[in-house]
Amino acid sequence: MSSSTLQDAPSPGHKPGDGAPSRRGGRTAGAWSGWTLVRKTVAVLLGLAFVFPFYWTFVISTARPGGFYRFPPQLIPSWNWSNWARAWDEAPWVRFFLNTLFIASATVLLCLVTSVLAGFAFGVLRFRGRNFLMLLVLSVLMMPGTVLIIPDYVLATDIHWVDTYWIQIVPWGASVFGVFLVRQFFVTMPQEILDAASVDGAGRLRVLWHIGVPAVRPALALIAINVFMASWNSFLWPEIMTNTTDVQPVEVGLSAFSSDVGTDIPGLAAAATFTTLPLIVFFLLLQRHFIRGALSAAGSVK
Amino acid sequence: MAETVAPAAGVSQDTGSAVRRGRRPRSTRDFRSTPLGWLYSAPAVLVFAGFVIVPTFYTFYVSLWHWNVLNPAMSTYKGLGNYRDLLTDVDPTFAQTLANSLYFTVGMIVFGTGASLGLALLLMRGGKAMGAARVMIYLPHATPLIATSIIWVWIFNPQFGFANYLLHLLHLPALQWTQSQSTAMPSVILFSVWHEVGFTTLVFLGGLAVISEETGEAARVDGCGPWREFWYVTWPQLRPVTTFIVVITSITSLQAFTQFYQLTSGGGPNNATTTLSYLVYKEGIVLGDTGYGAALAVVLFLITVLFTLVRRRTAVGGGGLTA
Repeated sequence: MSSSTLQDAPSPGHKPGDGAPSRRGGRTAGAWSGWTLVRKTVAVLLGLAFVFPFYWTFVISTARPGGFYRFPPQLIPSWNWSNWARAWDEAPWVRFFLNTLFIASATVLLCLVTSVLAGFAFGVLRFRGRNFLMLLVLSVLMMPGTVLIIPDYVLATDIHWVDTYWIQIVPWGASVFGVFLVRQFFVTMPQEILDAASVDGAGRLRVLWHIGVPAVRPALALIAINVFMASWNSFLWPEIMTNTTDVQPVEVGLSAFSSDVGTDIPGLAAAATFTTLPLIVFFLLLQRHFIRGALSAAGSVK
Repeated sequence: MAETVAPAAGVSQDTGSAVRRGRRPRSTRDFRSTPLGWLYSAPAVLVFAGFVIVPTFYTFYVSLWHWNVLNPAMSTYKGLGNYRDLLTDVDPTFAQTLANSLYFTVGMIVFGTGASLGLALLLMRGGKAMGAARVMIYLPHATPLIATSIIWVWIFNPQFGFANYLLHLLHLPALQWTQSQSTAMPSVILFSVWHEVGFTTLVFLGGLAVISEETGEAARVDGCGPWREFWYVTWPQLRPVTTFIVVITSITSLQAFTQFYQLTSGGGPNNATTTLSYLVYKEGIVLGDTGYGAALAVVLFLITVLFTLVRRRTAVGGGGLTA
């Protein structure tokens, strides 16, 4: 995160082109709006193509028995909800959901704490070894998750963390992205604010809690969303580290369900739908933040 | 936590006079300079050290052994034996696995980056319709790989799937998609582009938004057509963002696992989609040959470092994603 990424990142509502009628150049206004209409139509059609697989899954999930096995494929829902009821009864979905929610929330909380503390240390405090620690944290970016499954599985076996919540939370309880995002906020904020408070005699933790945390709140929101999604979507790690439904998250449950279910494709479609629906709702509610986060990633390379 | 709370009460009233007298016992320098920085960074550093940094080095160590998972004390030292086995393994051969990984990575770089640049240019300006299209294109990226891979298994189904229905409507011959050796990897790439392109499109859009309007305007005044304007004005300014996307895409593609696991059950026909990442899992975890899996992981690690170093060399504009 090399520059002041977030504050001045373009929000989705900010359209650089809107205030630039010069784009019309030599063309007539009529030709220009015609061209815009074509572009808009193509964009919306492409967008619909991207969401079509979700729609089609819903169609299959309410199909009548044997609904998937026909050609041409069915494209209109039959509203047969019995597939949903059957799929819901065949696996401990409530347990899976609660596990996922618990693991994701705990991971988010841990990441926020570690990011704020380390971001404060790297962005505000001065101490011997600071650059070394920052490089150490950055080096984590080079060490990919797939490489880690072998040694971390050995480690988890060693400390008896296999098939626990711990192994699904603690190793993901710090985020390089989070640490450096918070640091960036501290580096770019007006320095006098922190100093003034410290002159007033407040201890560092108090300054951090009462002044630092409110100041970096936008960073915290972005970290929370990213970590929550990453935790919910993770698969390889919990697939390896757990083996009972008591602690397994919903994606591992869904994958196991998909191999148990055999030819009951409408049932599996129902399960895929009701396990994904919460995330889709979550995304639609917070889409502004998602989109701003992705847009600002470009700012960081500038 | 041993927090040194400020020198007693009453400091706030006489701060001003203390400063005037040149006696700044609790100056901002004291506030900032403190070895306690180690303590504040400790939680994050410990997590990284314990679960990422030390384990990465531990992988090197494990790769030198015929590792016994149930009782590590019973492991036998093999030296570079696991690495020799890499070269003699046959089903699939190491070279084929490596080639599959690179096939997927290059495919994702070319088609993922190309598609997202095209989509970004399409969605660049405009109001509600474009905003809605952005949300729809981003949606797959926000949904889990497992659920979406399951969906695409049906789309790719040769008999009843939607992909072949589309081909049928276009009067094109049906394909076997994930079930034939030649189309399995392209199918996984198609799925992955669908899943990932929303994010990279938005990164490009972010890059396009900060490109200065004036240069483009100047080019148009000088009579540049849209294509020339893109090639000579927009594209050069997008280079840093493109580098960023290529590096991010290459690293995540080398790591890709879930779509292979769910979409082609790992191997695919004749191991057409067995990648290095999948093999680490299969050999090291499923088949329990931990030492051999570790050797594969070391190779994957070295390739990733190589890609990261390439980024370091090419990331223009001050350090890329990092500091």
